[in-house]
Amino acid sequence: MSFRRPSVLPGFGLTFGFTTFFLSAIVLLPLAALVLAAGSMHWSEFVAVVSSPRALGSYRLSFGASALAATINVVFGFVLAWTLVRYEFPGRKLIDALIDLPFALPTAVSGIALTTVFAQHGWIGRYLDPLGIKVAYTWLGVTLALTLISMPFAVRALQPALLEVQRDLEDAAETLGATRFYAFRRIILPTVLPSLLTGFTLAFARAVGEYGSVIFIAGNLPMKTEITPLLIVIHLEQFDYRGAAALGVVMLAMSFVVLLAINLLQAWGRRRHVQAAH
Amino acid sequence: MSIILDQVTRHYGGVPVVNDVSLDIGDGEFFVLLGPSGSGKSTLLRAVAGLTAVDHGRIALHGRDVTHVAARKRGVGLVFQNYALFRHMTVADNIEFALRVRGVRARDRRARRQELLRLVALVGLDDRLPAQLSGGQQQRVAVARALAHKPEVLLLDEPFGALDAKIREELRRTIREVQRELGITTVLVTHDQDEAFAMADRIGIMNLGRLLEIGAPHDLYSRPATRFVATFLGAANVFLARSTAQGIQLGAATVLSAGPPADTSEHEVVAVVRPEEVAVAASGAELGALFVAEGVVDELMFSGALERLRVRLENGTAGAPLLAAADGAAAPCLEVTRTQPEQRSFEVHAGQSVAVGVRRVHVLPTPLSSFAACAASAADAEALARQPLLTELAARMKTRIAVRCEPQLGMAQAGPGADAAFVGATVIASEPGAAQRAAWLLGRGAREVLVLPAQAAVPQRVLIHWLDEATRRATLAVSASVLRHVPAEAVYVGILPGESRAAHRPYGLRSLLDARSEAQALHGLEMRTELRFGEVAPELARHLAEAPGQMLIVGVGSLERFAERFGGLLDSGRWPVLIVHRAAG
Repeated sequence: MSFRRPSVLPGFGLTFGFTTFFLSAIVLLPLAALVLAAGSMHWSEFVAVVSSPRALGSYRLSFGASALAATINVVFGFVLAWTLVRYEFPGRKLIDALIDLPFALPTAVSGIALTTVFAQHGWIGRYLDPLGIKVAYTWLGVTLALTLISMPFAVRALQPALLEVQRDLEDAAETLGATRFYAFRRIILPTVLPSLLTGFTLAFARAVGEYGSVIFIAGNLPMKTEITPLLIVIHLEQFDYRGAAALGVVMLAMSFVVLLAINLLQAWGRRRHVQAAH
Repeated sequence: MSIILDQVTRHYGGVPVVNDVSLDIGDGEFFVLLGPSGSGKSTLLRAVAGLTAVDHGRIALHGRDVTHVAARKRGVGLVFQNYALFRHMTVADNIEFALRVRGVRARDRRARRQELLRLVALVGLDDRLPAQLSGGQQQRVAVARALAHKPEVLLLDEPFGALDAKIREELRRTIREVQRELGITTVLVTHDQDEAFAMADRIGIMNLGRLLEIGAPHDLYSRPATRFVATFLGAANVFLARSTAQGIQLGAATVLSAGPPADTSEHEVVAVVRPEEVAVAASGAELGALFVAEGVVDELMFSGALERLRVRLENGTAGAPLLAAADGAAAPCLEVTRTQPEQRSFEVHAGQSVAVGVRRVHVLPTPLSSFAACAASAADAEALARQPLLTELAARMKTRIAVRCEPQLGMAQAGPGADAAFVGATVIASEPGAAQRAAWLLGRGAREVLVLPAQAAVPQRVLIHWLDEATRRATLAVSASVLRHVPAEAVYVGILPGESRAAHRPYGLRSLLDARSEAQALHGLEMRTELRFGEVAPELARHLAEAPGQMLIVGVGSLERFAERFGGLLDSGRWPVLIVHRAAG
């Protein structure tokens, strides 16, 4: 589409200008500043900061735990969304509202709450402790915190898609001889796959950027339970702005690559399935 | 028989949405279930497909009882109103779905697919996605998909609902052709009578969960048995007329009813005149049909091939007796349709006076023609006419409630009153003395008396019993008439004397079965049966007291000691009771 193409809605020039300005001012400019700050470092210095064992450990935890949390949320978010969409039961509206709670809660509150429950002597922690399972101050706790705060993203992405899957589709599959499981695998799953990926992306993106809730439950042991955002804050506290910026650039790049990959995957899926839509 | 339904019942929240439906559909038959929305027809279809469980009854497909068999093992093909195509699959994958599930080899799948695409005239569209097809094409794919696994039964749930008129016509033809070519037993659900007429070998008409009538399209149209079918299938002028020994009296005309009348005594009947069976002319002599009354053209509407007239009849003209519209409208109006030749031979305009005649009158076999609320004072009768169950019944039966004041109602000494005959079902209040009044009315020629408590609502269960075998037929006919308009469960209660149970039991059971099969054969009425022992009236009262929302229909031959025996039942003010009286002999 060319810029000159006449549009039904007037004011394209104005809105496009605004969009560009808005994006630049609050997204691109700060990111550019970040890259510039890191760019003022010498290359070898940059490499030394971003590939220190402590930094590598934090990447592993940040991205690994985020991916795990997003996966958990896609699976259980599906079940949750399914229940909310398909069944009518007392308290359905209440549960529907509860799902948004992690959106609204200051993340530090979530972290404190989780720590209270899962610490060694917490309500649940005390029963897990004899089994040798330690949640608080381990990577398990980090994953738990990330799962909690990214849960609404997965559920909310899936809900509209599941509403689209009409009962008739399952009924049709059943009269054609398909078992419940076959219908789920061949009909429902492919239909909601794009939304499943969107849910994963949103949950993952949210988890990677999370800071507040994790620092309470993680214990922040270098190499073990230290997430990258925390490492950045540590650099900042030592007035090492350039080191912080360097780590920030790496996070930015990695997040961008992951999100781009998922988006491409989705676009590919869309082309394959819905390219037809007039 | 390809599909056999036996007393299939399905409740939702206590209300029967499919109520005691029994039906046999033959091999290769195209059967259409027709009914308004909410009549239970789609639920019934889903029950046949196995997608909805039934609470009661049996379903058999090709001699195999499938009542508890899962949908995927029933061997049916189902087509939905909204196509329900798998949108992420191509046409080919959609059609092959059932074969893929069954592990059919790719080569055989492809061959079957080609065959089906040819059948539904979609050759070459294999690789399209559903979104690339028009609505009509999508539904064709859905039909092909439903036929892929060679089902024994094809079920179509309002398949044309989402299509526009022209496409609909085309698809109808395709489906009928496919059905003929494959000889597959097919059930189509629709609310569109044109569609039903165009496609069906036989039509079954459903309302309020009941299958009211089954028949060939032409038979149902020309000889409906119920008011609902008469008015649902095309337009109908419904009148209350008098049946006399000479024939049916409709206005000035006396029409001979076909066959010997079942009942020679004079009584009210419901007459149906199709709009195309009405003739209008300048004078009675030019009608070429039986003159009924004078009328004035109220409204004139041109609609292509046909012209529609609305003619207001002038009562009392030229000695014509009253012709009452069945729905109680003040002045009876006739719907008339005329073909082009008819229009040319006699042109009319609004406001013109015309002579009206009928070519053909059909009398409904329904015994309940209208209601008359009857009490000793006019005020009481008026109040009774507003009783909720009565107004509900009259509204559902599309009939009227007359108000009748009988000052001497129930008085022992026969006064000079009761000069006019009792017409339709006479309604009295259930209160002390009601039995006496009912006996009084029955003794003066009332054929049906409905005794109504002030608070009675539409019943959930109707108990049926008759005291004399001679009244069996009439009681069943009245019961069937009531139950067609009320979504209630019908129970025939047989009662044997309390003593010597063992000796009477075989006789009692046989009479129960006789009653059931007669109800089914003559009226399409399905009923449960129960056998009880004891005195009739107290036993019926006990049964009525067992659960709320019950109504009793009782057939009475002899009126001897009637008030005495039924005082407890009729005077209590607790249950609606409909008494059907036919004198023996």
